[in-house]
Amino acid sequence: MIHVNDASKSFGHTHAVRNVSFGLDRRGVTGLLGPNGAGKTTTIRLITGYLRPDAGSISIGGIDVNRDPVPARRKLGYLPESAPLYPELNARQYLDYRARLFGFTKSQRRLASLSAIDRCRLADMAHKPIGTLSKGYRQRVGLAAALLHDPPVLILDEPTNGLDPSQIRTARALIRELAEDRTVLLCTHIIPEVERTCDRALVIAAGRLVADGTPEHLARAEGSPAEMDCQGPADDALRAALARRLGGTPLTVSDPEGGWITVTARTADDDTTQRLAAAATDAGRAIRRLERPSPRLEDRIVEVIERAHAGGETQSTPAEGGA
Amino acid sequence: MTRALTPIFAIAGRELGSMFRTPVGWIATALYALLTAVVFALQTLEPGEPATMRYFFTPSAWLLIAVAPAVSMRLFSEEFRTGTIEPLLTAPVSAAGVLIGKYAGALGFVACMIAPTLVFPVTLGILADGPIDAGAIASGYLGLLLVAAVYLALGTLVSATTDSQVLAFLVTLIALLMLLILAGPAASQMPIRVGLILNELSIQRRAATFASGVLETRHLAFFVLASAWLLALAWAALIRREAR
Repeated sequence: MIHVNDASKSFGHTHAVRNVSFGLDRRGVTGLLGPNGAGKTTTIRLITGYLRPDAGSISIGGIDVNRDPVPARRKLGYLPESAPLYPELNARQYLDYRARLFGFTKSQRRLASLSAIDRCRLADMAHKPIGTLSKGYRQRVGLAAALLHDPPVLILDEPTNGLDPSQIRTARALIRELAEDRTVLLCTHIIPEVERTCDRALVIAAGRLVADGTPEHLARAEGSPAEMDCQGPADDALRAALARRLGGTPLTVSDPEGGWITVTARTADDDTTQRLAAAATDAGRAIRRLERPSPRLEDRIVEVIERAHAGGETQSTPAEGGA
Repeated sequence: MTRALTPIFAIAGRELGSMFRTPVGWIATALYALLTAVVFALQTLEPGEPATMRYFFTPSAWLLIAVAPAVSMRLFSEEFRTGTIEPLLTAPVSAAGVLIGKYAGALGFVACMIAPTLVFPVTLGILADGPIDAGAIASGYLGLLLVAAVYLALGTLVSATTDSQVLAFLVTLIALLMLLILAGPAASQMPIRVGLILNELSIQRRAATFASGVLETRHLAFFVLASAWLLALAWAALIRREAR
């Protein structure tokens, strides 16, 4: 539904987005993740046509957003960051205005507004000026406006920013519900949001797409570290046993502390803990602790981003659920 | 109304409505009504003088130098500052459509602001001994609207280049005052050829012909083309912002 093909955008000497390519399916929520200033909002603005790319192309539903912007925008619902709205209007007036921008007739406007107000649970506040509404309700008005024309593509930039925990939960449930029959691209820097809401995650760092896959795949991709505390020094016997049992697996061995050392093995293999235990047994060492915590997306993403910043290298996992 | 025009009418309607939803719109309207009433009382209601509105229109056009920048300053600057320009420019409306809608809304507001002054020719008609020249009055009002059209087009251009309303107001006001000085007192101090060219730019001089009831095509064309040219520049500024 969305195709970004080798898109680049610079502001002066700053490369905000560099050769980014991806495609999004007809349904589901995709998270666009990255630290502040990574190029997420620029990427989104390129997709919505608010900015023009210096190179590359972008299409929504097969329509090029720069060559044919008006039809492309009809397919798009967009909630920009912090939901900018007109404070002097109330929600009904604002939605009516937005529906006019889409060329709706009077009866279409009424139906669309009622449906969006109902879907975003805005009925209680629909007659109050937007300027008097809480941040949460303003976000809902912005979301209602994005949904007004029932677009097949919905782009939400930091939709839960500034919401309280209960509002965040409601917003996430609504986003999941909306994604059942449309493409949702969710821009965020909150990693748990991606874990709870998204089917797929795209990670952007320093303007480049550095990882792409399901949250589970990304969390597991590099392997969760298995840790073992065993007795004694890290002598040749232990090192030989570890090399024999774990082959080329990256290992770190800590300095002894109170007679115990910690061996950490990072691999995607499932039997790493057994092999660590076997190596300790081979070397005749007692084991005090042996564990492999569940993989954490946050740790993996931070590693990927730090590596991208350090090396400037693109390191993508294979795209899943791609175009 | 075709589907293509609906968004432009929507934008114009919102602009016009938002002027009256904020105190600025009402204050500007009230101030303009008050000042034009003073002008009418002092310049037009002269016992024994001919019943003409000519001396009302000229100072009323002068007042627009301060009023038009106050109306146009918010057109784009406010949208840039609050970020509402983003949902607007990603709606299925072209940048030209957005521009025309906003400009039409601002011009509509100035028309609403001028409308209450129609009470003055009615008053004049009641007080005058003979019939008043309705054609000259209509021509004078057309002149006022055309002056407002050029001033607002310049204000729209400035507003499309900055996110500061204050800056938009000041730059437009200073530009209009500079134009007034250059095409008026300064022109007479210049070499004759330069002076003649500058004189051609005089909005006040052209407006005065409308106020006297003379409708000349070249003046009409000047106002229309100057407005269109300034709006084309504003459109280019908007497009450049998108491609920046």
